[in-house]
Amino acid sequence: MTTTSINLKLEIWRQKDSKATGNFETYILTNISTDMSFLEMLDVLNEQLTREGQDPVAFDHDCREGICGMCGAVVNGIAHGPEPETTLCQLHMRHFKEGETLVIEPFRSRAFPIHKDLVTDRSALDRIIQAGGYVSVNTGGMPDGNATPIPSATAELAMDAAACIGCGACIASCPNGAAMLFTGAKISQLSLLPQGHPERKERARSMVATMDKEGFGNCTNERECEAVCPKGISISNIARMNREFVKASLL
Amino acid sequence: MWFIQFFKSSIGKKWLMAGTGCCLLLFLCSHAAGNATLFYSLALFQSYADQLHSHPLIVSIFSTGLLVIFILHIITGVLLTLQNRKARGHDYKVKKRSSPNSTASSTMIYSGLFILFFVLIHTYVVSFGDHSQISLTISYLFSSFYVIVFYITAFVVLAIHLSHGFWSMLQTFGVNHPRYNTMIRSLTYIVPAFFLLLFTAIPLLFLF
Ligand code: FES
Repeated sequence: MTTTSINLKLEIWRQKDSKATGNFETYILTNISTDMSFLEMLDVLNEQLTREGQDPVAFDHDCREGICGMCGAVVNGIAHGPEPETTLCQLHMRHFKEGETLVIEPFRSRAFPIHKDLVTDRSALDRIIQAGGYVSVNTGGMPDGNATPIPSATAELAMDAAACIGCGACIASCPNGAAMLFTGAKISQLSLLPQGHPERKERARSMVATMDKEGFGNCTNERECEAVCPKGISISNIARMNREFVKASLL
Repeated sequence: MWFIQFFKSSIGKKWLMAGTGCCLLLFLCSHAAGNATLFYSLALFQSYADQLHSHPLIVSIFSTGLLVIFILHIITGVLLTLQNRKARGHDYKVKKRSSPNSTASSTMIYSGLFILFFVLIHTYVVSFGDHSQISLTISYLFSSFYVIVFYITAFVVLAIHLSHGFWSMLQTFGVNHPRYNTMIRSLTYIVPAFFLLLFTAIPLLFLF
């Protein structure tokens, strides 16, 4: 495999803290290996900035293998960059062209205040989970794993919903700043399985109420969320949440 | 109250939008059926109008209901737009849409307001006009080129509005299933195209 390298111009949102106004700064990067991941490219930039005595660009990351949901930024207008179903940490520089300009912005939404540069506070999503993302488990002996039969198709649907890593790209891309794909996935994951049934109604009501309280917008079915989701979560989960919420509120 | 609570929630507002939209769509069907009499003759259309207005009670009950539904649809739409603009907050420097049919979905408020403008003029000129002379009124109106252009534009805008609205309504009602999705996807274009063809054919009848 041959390694090639490219030169890039980066326009990155710099913001000192949550109160600062923030602005775009331009940086030139040379000789970036196309085998690097996007975050490694930012690491190179930060080393360069540190050597020059400047403040490195703050960005979130953890696993760097696309499973934790910590990373994320909007690259040239698309959350997690141009590759479909790929997190920013799994995006490789080979998808960019020599001399390209990359505009890198934080995930934006009223419910996601910016801490610094590209780091946003996404704890509103944690509070939605806390509102109903649990199941009742009886104390006592260990239950037999196969005691509750679950059809394979249902298990797969629940697993598809559970693939959500909670990165917040859906909210960042939604023209309404709505969190329905995230909440829909979390509600679906538990309501599809028998273990999630005892709290089913309570869960739909309180997770939706928390979602509204946290300042997310109202979904108008624009489908941007589904288009950018790095885990390919389907909006059929939003449809399921709509059904769950109506059943829980009106029936 | 439980139902006020429901309609105040984000999903409740969605249902209100979809529910009123569904009623308006049904009204559009009945209106289209009435107008279709024009394809037979102007006289048949006139007798349909006379028949309809010989039952003032039915007409007033239905038009009041329609007015309430229409107002609810508009208020919810405007409210959603304002709330959502706030929730979005700071805009991006590079704006890019990745979803299908985003032209229609991102302009719902504008297409909606244009339809409102058309409906207001239509009600003023036609509905509050002289019903016994309705066939004369429309032949007179459709003799003007500008009226025809305005009328056709309104139905093109309505078709764009429906191309998002119809699918969106079903998604809100929770109708999203692999078994039906292919059918729904084609209906999303067939339904607006049907109304567009039917309504725009009417002024053309008067041209030829
Ligand atoms: S760093 Fe964990 S998903 Fe990207």
